[in-house]
Amino acid sequence: MNRFNFPDLGIGIGLRTVHYAHILDTQPDVDWFEALSENYLDTGGRPRYVLETIAERYPIVLHGVSMSIGGTDPIDFDYLRKLKELARGVNARWISDHLCWTGVSGRNVHDLLPMPYNEESLRHTAARVRVISDFLETPLVVENPSSYVEFATSTMTEWDFLAALAAESDCGLLLDVNNIYVSSFNHGFDPKTYVDAIPADRVVQVHLAGHANHGTHIIDTHDNVVIDEVWQLYGRACARTGDVSTLMEWDANIPDFETVHAEARKAEAFRGSGESGVGGRRRKGSGESGVGGRRKSSSKSLRHPTPDTRPPQDAEAVHV
Amino acid sequence: MSDAYREVSRESGVVATTLISDPRPPTPDPLALAPLQEWMQSVVTHPGDVYEAAEAGAIGVDTVVLPSKTLQPIQRVGIYHSMYMLRMIEALEADYEALAYAMGEHAFGHLVREYVQRFPSRSYTLNRLGDHLPEFIAASDLKRKTFLADLARLELAMTHVFEEAEAAPMPPDAIASVPPDRIEALRFTPIPAIRLLTFACNADEVFQAWREERVVEPRRGKTWLAVHRRDYGVYRMPLSQEAFTFLGSLISGETIGSAITKFARRFRRMPRQQELFGWFRDWSEAGLFAAIAITEQER
Ligand SMILES: [Fe+2]
Repeated sequence: MNRFNFPDLGIGIGLRTVHYAHILDTQPDVDWFEALSENYLDTGGRPRYVLETIAERYPIVLHGVSMSIGGTDPIDFDYLRKLKELARGVNARWISDHLCWTGVSGRNVHDLLPMPYNEESLRHTAARVRVISDFLETPLVVENPSSYVEFATSTMTEWDFLAALAAESDCGLLLDVNNIYVSSFNHGFDPKTYVDAIPADRVVQVHLAGHANHGTHIIDTHDNVVIDEVWQLYGRACARTGDVSTLMEWDANIPDFETVHAEARKAEAFRGSGESGVGGRRRKGSGESGVGGRRKSSSKSLRHPTPDTRPPQDAEAVHV
Repeated sequence: MSDAYREVSRESGVVATTLISDPRPPTPDPLALAPLQEWMQSVVTHPGDVYEAAEAGAIGVDTVVLPSKTLQPIQRVGIYHSMYMLRMIEALEADYEALAYAMGEHAFGHLVREYVQRFPSRSYTLNRLGDHLPEFIAASDLKRKTFLADLARLELAMTHVFEEAEAAPMPPDAIASVPPDRIEALRFTPIPAIRLLTFACNADEVFQAWREERVVEPRRGKTWLAVHRRDYGVYRMPLSQEAFTFLGSLISGETIGSAITKFARRFRRMPRQQELFGWFRDWSEAGLFAAIAITEQER
């Protein structure tokens, strides 16, 4: 168990538009869902309705791509206000985003841009994470990104930076073992060293995903199954953290729900109990509360993780 | 020339440049976090190729980025640079599928490249990226820009309607309960998820044909359309000019009486009773109105 007492939700799936109908129709036996925050802000349409309906039955975690934790623009409190409201509305168990920046001078590049790892950026990022966690009234959970460049101004490794950031800002960690593998290939370090150096008691969640190996470098495409080396890293991480909330990300060339779920459930082989945690159906009625501790009273039943924004057009528009 | 420098005239007539004092704080480190992020953003979002982007940057790529065993610094930055434009094209293609099809891949890609220079994303969501595309097309020198701007306006309206706030429509028979002598004083509250559009061409017909994988050539001639949402689905309702005018009056908050007066002025005739019955039946069944109220002062 992590130091924040965030529960092991079991093995979850990233909630994607192409699976909405399947989930609503069949209520599959999946432990939990992770929703991309930005897809559900500023919309009163079907995405929000679907998320709220799914949240009635399954635990939800909100995962963002636009918080720009390491950015040098002012923190966007309008965004955080909406995010906090959404988290309360769907009883999000926690909120995560990436160790990165997404734009400056008011612009958003919609990419998880890499940070230089040095004292200046550590102080800057830790201060922002503290402010964000205070505002959200929950410890922010920070994910290690995939990256394709290393800066000349870096003076420490990513794992040392992440550990120091977590200690200084008291945040949780979302350990993406695929990202560790991708970055280790791109930058030439041993991924096992990374996994071994992470403060295990701060790891709230793990991400699994596939990638595209171009020989000279790897791109984090989220369009495929998890490779064996990444499963081994997952096992190594679990040996340190104990059973931990685990999520399969699949964002491009997304196959049917059962295929994604089957890939995710391979994680069971690496988990101590061999079965899922407290998530999903078995947790129903457990009374466990999410961010802000409030439950909505509704009775209504980037590849980089670029948010999926649209349902298939043919499902949405009919000529009258 | 910096303020810290002064031209000093000597008796000899020699003009020299001398640093006499610097009252400003020391120059910020160009590799500090803020300038580094400014630099990287400018390179990543540069419309040219990565070499042109690097050339235009304030700092040399090799000064900022380390090589890997397999890639040079510029190749590593190039990964972010190439993915930026692909992401912008992909996002706008999702919002403007029919437009992208009508323009063709190459022309649409070129349009996006120019558009994001003028209207880069300033939102935490990509859903707002395309908000200015119709006006950008209308102001462009594209061939067929009238048709393309119309098609873009249609698809943007569909995006906005898809995302609007939800409001339950009033029961279809709500108007039937209003006494006949109060009908003219009725005022309607539209659902938020509705947009009325006038086109200079047959944009909706072309859009529908694209949906059905048929080909319909764009034709000049005004057309009118309502885009609305029902049960979280987006619908398109072609309208006659008369129906469009009447519905427009109601949606802008006028009473039925006032809408009739405006209609009569515009078309030099009163709306026929059959016409009105048909419109209200269709609009009520489509759930275009959230509520009705009788305006007392208009009696
Ligand atoms: Fe991830």
